[in-house]
Amino acid sequence: MAETKGSGLDKNNKYDRQLRLWGDHGQSALEAARVCLINATATGTEILKNVILPGIGSFTIVDGHKVRGEDVGNNFFLLADSIGKSRAQVATELLGELNDDVTGNFVEESVETLLESNPDYFSTFSVVVAINLHEKALLQLGGVLWEKNIPLLVCRCYGFIGYLRLAVREHTIVESHPDSALEDLRLDRPFPGLQTFCDSLNMETMTKKEHGHTPWLVLLYKYVQEWKKTHDGQIPKNYKEKNMLKEMIRKGIRQNEEGVPELEENFDEAVTHVNSALVTTRIPSEVQALFDDPCCTNINSESKTFWILCRALHDFVHNEGNGDLPLRGTIPDMTSDSERYIQLQNVYREQAATDMTAIRNRVHALLQSLGRDEPVFVDPKPCGAVSDNEIKTFCRNAAFLRLVRCRSLAEEYGTNTVNKDELNMHLESEEGDDLLFYILLRGVDRFYDEYNRYPGRDNSDVEPDIPKLKTCLTKLLHDWGLSGTVKEDYIHEMCRYGASEVHSIASYMGGVVAQEVIKILTTQFVPINNTYVYNGFLQTSTTVQL
Amino acid sequence: MAATLKGVLQGSLADNVKNSKILVVGAGGIGCEVLKDLVLTGFKTIEVIDLDTIDVSNLNRQFLFRKEHVKKSKSQVARESVLKFNPDVDIKAYHDSVMSPDYDVNFFKQFTLVLNALDNRAARNHVNRMCLAADIPLVESGTAGYLGQVTVIKKGLTECYECQPKPPQKTFPGCTIRNTPSEPIHCVVWAKHLFNQLFGEDDPDQDVSPDTEDPELTAEAGQSALQSEAKTDEIGGIERKSTRVWAMNTGYDPEKLFNKLFRDDIKYLLSMETLWKKRRPPQPLNMTQLPSDTDGNSSAIRDQRQWSVKECANVFSDCLGQLKKELATQGDGGMLVWDKDDETALDFVASVANIRAHIFGIAMKTRFDIKSMAGNIIPAIATTNAIIAGLIIMEAIKILSGKIKSCKTVYLNRVPNDRNRLLVPCTLDPPNPKCYVCAPKPEVTVVVNCTRFKVGALQDKVLKSYLGMVAPDVEIDDGKGTIIISSEEGETEENNDKFLSDFGIRNGTRLKCDDFLQVYSLVVTIAHVEKLEEEKEFEVVGDLSELQPQEEQQQAANGSKPHNGGDKADGQCTVPCLNPWAVLTLSDL
Repeated sequence: MAETKGSGLDKNNKYDRQLRLWGDHGQSALEAARVCLINATATGTEILKNVILPGIGSFTIVDGHKVRGEDVGNNFFLLADSIGKSRAQVATELLGELNDDVTGNFVEESVETLLESNPDYFSTFSVVVAINLHEKALLQLGGVLWEKNIPLLVCRCYGFIGYLRLAVREHTIVESHPDSALEDLRLDRPFPGLQTFCDSLNMETMTKKEHGHTPWLVLLYKYVQEWKKTHDGQIPKNYKEKNMLKEMIRKGIRQNEEGVPELEENFDEAVTHVNSALVTTRIPSEVQALFDDPCCTNINSESKTFWILCRALHDFVHNEGNGDLPLRGTIPDMTSDSERYIQLQNVYREQAATDMTAIRNRVHALLQSLGRDEPVFVDPKPCGAVSDNEIKTFCRNAAFLRLVRCRSLAEEYGTNTVNKDELNMHLESEEGDDLLFYILLRGVDRFYDEYNRYPGRDNSDVEPDIPKLKTCLTKLLHDWGLSGTVKEDYIHEMCRYGASEVHSIASYMGGVVAQEVIKILTTQFVPINNTYVYNGFLQTSTTVQL
Repeated sequence: MAATLKGVLQGSLADNVKNSKILVVGAGGIGCEVLKDLVLTGFKTIEVIDLDTIDVSNLNRQFLFRKEHVKKSKSQVARESVLKFNPDVDIKAYHDSVMSPDYDVNFFKQFTLVLNALDNRAARNHVNRMCLAADIPLVESGTAGYLGQVTVIKKGLTECYECQPKPPQKTFPGCTIRNTPSEPIHCVVWAKHLFNQLFGEDDPDQDVSPDTEDPELTAEAGQSALQSEAKTDEIGGIERKSTRVWAMNTGYDPEKLFNKLFRDDIKYLLSMETLWKKRRPPQPLNMTQLPSDTDGNSSAIRDQRQWSVKECANVFSDCLGQLKKELATQGDGGMLVWDKDDETALDFVASVANIRAHIFGIAMKTRFDIKSMAGNIIPAIATTNAIIAGLIIMEAIKILSGKIKSCKTVYLNRVPNDRNRLLVPCTLDPPNPKCYVCAPKPEVTVVVNCTRFKVGALQDKVLKSYLGMVAPDVEIDDGKGTIIISSEEGETEENNDKFLSDFGIRNGTRLKCDDFLQVYSLVVTIAHVEKLEEEKEFEVVGDLSELQPQEEQQQAANGSKPHNGGDKADGQCTVPCLNPWAVLTLSDL
């Protein structure tokens, strides 16, 4: 018990409830992360709070503003006596109190100045979160980070509207945690170990107890072999054929002396699992797309570990794997005596271990050929040796690998590259939808460029701003080559907001954005690609690619 | 702030917010976020109640608490932390159970709104009834991992928290736990029972010794086992004494306890041969002859590494020693309460569960996994709570602006669904006219065997535990008004051990049940049956028609109206991937 003493225990207890979501390795990734926040508004500090609590490595606030009275009113991490002080500094101090294990830093400078004086400054972060940036600074920052492939999350709370945009050139995910995944059982293409094990069991000569406790996986294997004999070696393909197979299985239930079928739960289970377990083993289209990606076909000494693993996986599939991905190596719970269950479990485990070894050898051969098989850095840096654990996790998740490539901010904002079709669809939708607020947000930015203030801001009467905003929107839509218009009541609502930051919306978006940051840092779960709009009054939200 | 918010919170709304008085029930994960959001939205008068104290495992999300606050009152520390940042707000904190009689209907009536931030069904049921009685709108919420849910409850307008039956909390038949475990959870439950038998509160339902009344044992087989073993063998003798007394007499000697629990009791189980005709028989263990350590995988941290049987036995020994000491500090008649966050208590359960699993050929589990099973742990993170709190405030704002009809039940998905929606808002359903809580004259039928069901069980298991009453009074509707259960202490205790039939209660008898605190009256009609399926002691049904063949009705219902499905959709609603109440019944503090 000695090893549980000290800070290790404390962390395990403190983080217990989240370790159950992303595991130790997810937690280690978080603890290694450096997060940058630009502008410590209420939304900004809420986001940071939600990543500091679970224990990121460090955070840095970049903010040239002084604390104003209205900041104190909606921001939990500023105090009344902080008015006039550096917002970056006060927020850093108060946020720092949330978790002793997290280091806080601040830079009292505007992002514009920093981009001017030291554009490389941002390249040292794992992820950058930017709040309320104006278009010019946003695009400049976006360009710098895109170049370095550092994920940028752009966030904004405006009245009852929340907005999030993820811009990352390439984000790869090994553990995507799919909601529902079929088991990897290979009943259609049994591997030698499974064949040998199942064939060694003779149903005819079993005692009653053995017969009723033979795992359904074995039963299904046996009946499928039977089926194949009379069906050109094919497994049952459609509903009808599967029903016929079920009938065959039911006939296999033993009968007592009076000819009444015994109660054999394992046979019932076999019948139930015909549909879900008897599937064609194939390479998922997402994984095939990875194999076809130039990053996989042309690996080089600069390639990310993920792509080297992908290449090894690809080569495995076309050699040792005989067209299949490595076996996942787990089987579900089933009625069985423990002896045969454990044997069966071992059959799957051993094959998975064999597959993993083959891939490991390929990974190291590839690394060697690239001159990289030296433990220079520990992951996640894109060089050096790859640990066995990493390869194991990769193999176990081979069917769930995912790749996210966002469109860049430059593309979104470029008049020739704007996603016109998507925007037009929402503009023309009858009932009006959340995405209209994206167009309106772009509209108020245009308004700001022209009047140096937001509509409805510093103005007790919002009415005069409505036609002005309307004109801005018309110009915007014209630039995009769209002919539609935004309904008047939406424009009115937007003016009414007066660029205010409502705390409950900031709290909501603080949760949503922090969740995406955690997904990105842990490289678990698939992040939103690429724009998310929340309408607080209707409690609706939409995700689109812009 | 007021200046900027005025535009957004239109007209009188900003004043309504300022002048309202809010009760927040719970100061945990959601509660902390809600308190902060309320204050920063302009609410000025807030009361918060929570009976819990702060634990280390709260700190990853309950941001109003710090390391130095561990073991202090949640509600009081939450109040102080919020006031530190916003001194001009009036917050009152109660370190107490919301189910205490101090918080009666008049207490609830003083609030404009009640916001629930609870983690258990009993308290949710209770607050639901209090808000119905006081006719105060309630915003109900819950989170579990990445999932969350918010809804609004208003008497006469919406479904109440209890309008839809919720899935029963999972329990296991006693004989599975005591005689024939087949899953790791059975061993974990047994280990917790053992903890209570040895150190905690004595509960006859938590016996850990072999169960000779297992229905699987045909009369003769069970009897022969009893007769051949019980009278002559010392094992049978031990059985007659309470486990606690026996263990104390041995001075909690690890070897004696081990060999009784894992060798002698198992041997005794083996003598009930019928149990093992179709099962793998358990293998008794002797403490001095344990399988030697094989696994060399000691690099992983202790929590997530599988302990060997030998290690388990060592942990078992160590824990016995420590728990014995702890028990001694409690004085005479003292007891320990099992807590998943208590290291020794968890070690004890982890080691015992694994030894038992090994004996029965069940997969052993890591301490980390056992903690989750034994503590019913629901993963919890800051992000989900922040999101849900934001949604709660938005619903509260709608209620205060007189737009309660546009309030929604909102589900938070883990990832955007296939219609790209992270949130699924659904319109609120009207009250269920057959609800046994909020219907004008609530009624239920309780199915029992009147000659075998005791009044005490009616009070504790049916009225309190199942039907959520706190202090019930029960009178037989027989024209004479015979009172069989009284909430006044000392009035009817002597009835507890009598059977219902002793009071003339039989098929069709109506019982008038009242809970004065909840201002709740319920008519219970008794339906007598000789035997219920699956060893159940009782069953509660809405009305007698539901006792008739159910399948056809259910299918018809499913065919015409998908439960919580697209028909009450609000443009965006697709069937949520979770049971509509699952989150609200589990969920974070």
